[in-house]
Amino acid sequence: MKEKTYKLAVFRFDPLVDTKQRFKNYSVPRSKTKTVLDALLYIRDNIDGTLAFRASCIQGRCGSCAMHINGKYALACETPLKATRNVIRPLSQLPIIKDLMVDMELFWEKYESVKPYLVRHSGEARQSFENRKEMDAMIDCILCGACTSACMITGINPDFHGPAAYVTLNRFLKDERDAIHDQRIELVMSENGVFRCHSMYNCNEACPKNVKPSENILEIKKNIS
Amino acid sequence: MKKYDLIIVGAGMSGLRAAIEAVKQDLHVAVISKVHPLRSSSVVASAGLNAVLPKRDQNKIDQDSIEQHFQDTMKCGYRASDPETLQILVNKAPAKIRELERWGCLFSREKDDSIAQRKIGASSFPRTVYSSDKTGHVVMNTLYEQCIRLRQNKPDLLRFYDEWFVQKLLVHNNVTSGVIALEIATGRMEVFTSRAVIWASGGSGRIFGNTSNPLANSGWGLAVPMYAGAALRDMEFIQFHPTQLSGSHILITEAARGEGAVLLNRKGQRFLESYSDTKERKELSSEDVISRNIRREILAGRGIEANCVHLDLRGLGSRKIKNSLPGVRELCKTYANLDPIRQKIPVSPGQHYMIGGINTNEKTQTDIEGFFAAGECACNGVHGMNRMGGNSLMETLVFGEIAALKAATYIQQKHHKPSNRLFYENAFSDEKKKVKSLLKSHGKVKPAEIRDKMNQTMNEFVGIYRDGMGLVEAGKIIKELKNTYQNNLMIQGNEARANFGLIEAIELKGSLDIADIIIQSALKRKESIGVHFRNDFPSYKGRPRYSMIKVKKNKIKIRHISIRTQKNPLFALFSESRSQNS
Repeated sequence: MKEKTYKLAVFRFDPLVDTKQRFKNYSVPRSKTKTVLDALLYIRDNIDGTLAFRASCIQGRCGSCAMHINGKYALACETPLKATRNVIRPLSQLPIIKDLMVDMELFWEKYESVKPYLVRHSGEARQSFENRKEMDAMIDCILCGACTSACMITGINPDFHGPAAYVTLNRFLKDERDAIHDQRIELVMSENGVFRCHSMYNCNEACPKNVKPSENILEIKKNIS
Repeated sequence: MKKYDLIIVGAGMSGLRAAIEAVKQDLHVAVISKVHPLRSSSVVASAGLNAVLPKRDQNKIDQDSIEQHFQDTMKCGYRASDPETLQILVNKAPAKIRELERWGCLFSREKDDSIAQRKIGASSFPRTVYSSDKTGHVVMNTLYEQCIRLRQNKPDLLRFYDEWFVQKLLVHNNVTSGVIALEIATGRMEVFTSRAVIWASGGSGRIFGNTSNPLANSGWGLAVPMYAGAALRDMEFIQFHPTQLSGSHILITEAARGEGAVLLNRKGQRFLESYSDTKERKELSSEDVISRNIRREILAGRGIEANCVHLDLRGLGSRKIKNSLPGVRELCKTYANLDPIRQKIPVSPGQHYMIGGINTNEKTQTDIEGFFAAGECACNGVHGMNRMGGNSLMETLVFGEIAALKAATYIQQKHHKPSNRLFYENAFSDEKKKVKSLLKSHGKVKPAEIRDKMNQTMNEFVGIYRDGMGLVEAGKIIKELKNTYQNNLMIQGNEARANFGLIEAIELKGSLDIADIIIQSALKRKESIGVHFRNDFPSYKGRPRYSMIKVKKNKIKIRHISIRTQKNPLFALFSESRSQNS
């Protein structure tokens, strides 16, 4: 009896060798794969060892395997394969290193540009229960890059910080222990700053952890005005 | 060639904590990691960090103490913990929490704003500091944030090499002189020279199939120092976590049991009550006995279909689950398609933590000069023969810091004669040749096939229950696999650039060699103690001994050495540290 399979079309491109980007079709056995990452690992193990993609924790916590799956940004390790054809592409707006592996350098630069660390007032005030509670919603960001990839403004304007960096910024703006609130605001007041966001909610839709970057950006805007 | 004072290999909690301290010591530091720091295994750690914190109500008689933390760990580890190392851990733990607090770590809090603590596993008091069930993620973010801060303030001192794969530890006349690493994206290889190296490569769970560990934990992290001549220790002591989600082996944190979840068999009975060693503390017994009793229950035919039992959180109520265990709920929904508020979770024990590792003393020093190790990859004896939940995350912070301080002293004091250029050049061309010849492996067997067979073998013969015959069989299979690797391996792709298949194949050699060492160590220990249980030698006699493993010319040599007893009067040390802390 023929084994039941899932069908995948996987983006393949090696910028140093290929002139054209292409999709390659694969079939993987249903008995051995449940998620998109299972399928990609199966392909690398058994069909083509040169397929390039990142993966680590396989449980939706490390953020390595964010990609564009069947029309949506998602973590491959969390996304079940569907019975019809699965189309897998890399994150967009970042240079492709090979296949599904993109260069995240720019993403991390933007994250670092918002001073992602607490600068304390002198003396050691502890965080209040209420203040900590307010952060529950944003604590889950794993910096996978899905939101920034989905963001249209990031696409048009490479200097825009992007939703992930703003979630990080908002986390520190909200922290009652932070001493450089005004400096942080100034960082994002420029013409490429937070007001560039037109609230299209693409980032909310893309976020696999339900962090709601749009809401965070709205909070920053309110904080300024 | 790139030149640094200090190279840190691995950017999980141990590596990042070491990096922070090293930069404070004004060292010129490179942190080399196979994955981006925030993709490290540490981010998956859930339950929390053990530390005794002063409580508001000082007059309460029955409260936790540093002595009690020491005694609980000793008891959990079958009195085989190294007393001096453990003293350092329990003494320094409170200061490490205060430090994270200062750096803005988002710990969970009580209504009076104090840091929340919960009781997990074998602790006799609520001692585990946490952030819901995402402690590793939150602490890693804090540590990485501090690294960025330091780098923005002192850009010349700290450099991260993300997604660089370390191939070799360079040791010249038993003195550390750097590493050779490969940039995964480009395939470029580079010699990094340094006066000291801190190894913080984490766990090696992927040698087993039923592991909760991320893909990165291949065992290569132990193999590289072993190839360079470092001794390993206690490699037979492998912790199997009792509650991994059936099928995917994703770990359901012990915090769930800490919050009140119970284990049930097919008949819906709390079976831990019927075993003498878990009767008293039930779900809060130490992990080794719970894992063994789950296996027993399954073997007695009272398990649930696919070799598992049920973990029942329903008694906790919706609010507690949503507040304290949101991660558990997410994982169950995504990977088991169930909601623990209403449904029982099918769980089974699986590989979780390597108690053994690179042999170090309480100062993180190894037997190679200038080579230090901290965290899960190291074995400093702190966990004895069974790790207590919540101690290993604390271990990374305490010993990560110590490693950097000791490395700094070593670099400053020692008169260093630099290794000559020829030594580096030869080592470099050797590694280049190895990669080249591996890329020409056109055999018939794919690396994954060898890896899967190794995984099955370790699951079957080197699990919770072991016996001599099974271990001998496992040894034979691993030997055959090594042969296949050597003679009939198939590598795809013709260059190293972005070739994950190649990297995995390089690592597989290390996995096989470490698997062999685990098997030989388990075979050599003809007794049952802690997480090591031999069906053919079920009893434990005599004093605790640790295994010291050296590999010379492909021969594994194992010696059993008595564990040192307490040299210093304990309480004198405790009171000293208290006055420092207050």
